Amino acid sequence: MIKGLYAAASAMIAGATRQEVLSHNAANMETPGFKQALISLDDFLHTPVVYPPGNRSGAGSLEFIGYHGLGVEATPETTDFSQGPLRETGEVLDLAIEGPGFFRLQTPDGERYSRDGRFLRNTAGQLANVDGYLVLGTTGQPIQIPEGSISIGQDGTITVNNQAAGRIGLAAFTDPETELTRDLPNAYAAAGAPTSQAVGNIQQGYLEYSNVNAAQLMGQMVSVARAYEAAQRMVQVQDELLGRSISQLGRL
Amino acid sequence: MSSSLFHILNISQSAMLSGLQDLDITSNNLANVNTVGFKASRGNFQELLEQRQLEGVRSSSTQLLLNQGSLRYTQNPLDLAIQGEGFFGVTLADGRTAYTRDGQFHLDGNRQIVSAGGQRLVWQGQIPATAEEVAVDPNGVVSTRQGATWTRAGTIQTYRFANPTALQGYGENLWLSTPVSGQAQAGAPNAGNYGLIRSQSVEASNVNIANEMTHMMSLQRAFQISTRAFQQTDQMISLAISLRRG
Repeated sequence: MIKGLYAAASAMIAGATRQEVLSHNAANMETPGFKQALISLDDFLHTPVVYPPGNRSGAGSLEFIGYHGLGVEATPETTDFSQGPLRETGEVLDLAIEGPGFFRLQTPDGERYSRDGRFLRNTAGQLANVDGYLVLGTTGQPIQIPEGSISIGQDGTITVNNQAAGRIGLAAFTDPETELTRDLPNAYAAAGAPTSQAVGNIQQGYLEYSNVNAAQLMGQMVSVARAYEAAQRMVQVQDELLGRSISQLGRL
Repeated sequence: MSSSLFHILNISQSAMLSGLQDLDITSNNLANVNTVGFKASRGNFQELLEQRQLEGVRSSSTQLLLNQGSLRYTQNPLDLAIQGEGFFGVTLADGRTAYTRDGQFHLDGNRQIVSAGGQRLVWQGQIPATAEEVAVDPNGVVSTRQGATWTRAGTIQTYRFANPTALQGYGENLWLSTPVSGQAQAGAPNAGNYGLIRSQSVEASNVNIANEMTHMMSLQRAFQISTRAFQQTDQMISLAISLRRG
């Protein structure tokens, strides 16, 4: 019976973890380039259930019946890298990627990958993102942008006053869900070098918004609320049964 | 992943605080739809992670959107509009220089060119006492008329910044330079990358009402969802507390 108590409690803990991920997704519904975190539930630890032979004489060892789950846990979170909607902003250094690929950012911890295209030209004339990290070109070096009117082609080629000024580098992965991990705000770390050549188009004057689906999120939140409530009731029922068996068995 | 229920409340709270901040910026943009020389701002909000822990959202920066506003013709020769990049410099009461795109200038009693707010325009020259009329050409050259003769009185320089999106608002449609924007670089209008000056015109606000309204609507939806998440986490805390009955 203690097993049941812990199984019900594990459902409450898993419910809290799911709620955390959903709240984080809700908080970033309007963050450009944000990719929603996903979490699923899995049962952990099985224990074999055996049938005791009782007082039958001559019975052999315990009889195996099957496995009994001991509860549920939230799996480590993953990221949904599906395309978010593009919104037109008209800003010269707002860029969106249509299709696969990530912008390459230079950070103190090494190269990170992001879909957030809110860029600006810093005082040193280099292209940087809103967090101040430098955006890397196809050569793997920061991009120097001279003063003037900037135009960026779909392949990332930058021209300033009709003069070529470098090209924005994109990195693509064949399976970003397994190759990338959430590491810095809106930026991901890769296990190795980019594994794909297929990159999408860059759209100047657009931003890719978050891929959080509001309707889906609300649905998931309702199911978390009900599952949490049910688990809480189960803990109470288990507790009640345990209490009753202790008090009533003692009376015999 | 540890997830205290109270920590989840903080996530939703960060979203609600950011939402309010974003609403302030949007409201200010909408309030200045008809302000001459006004530039819309955008709140840049960013995912918040601490040691890879999900923490919600935070305000990263406020970005000045410097799209050109449309020019409106006026009859005042000292109504100046910049077409292209650049800012006028005006002197604040404390001696600092502030930068503006609001070119509604006029002559004060001391024959100084001053802005609508009364700050003196930074320029190189002097308006003679006998001047009857003033004119400014696209290159910033100020001329005055005495009788039938026009004479050159000086020039107006404009200022550019390495990263003008990071200028800091001072109020009254003025901006100050910041370490992130870089120092002001003075230059002659209509040369290099400096925009030209249009006399007898003002630059209208660059706020796009449709964009701001749509933004406000999606902001409201996002705020509602985070409020709902906050309430639900609160209910979950209450359920956890009431586990033990009697």
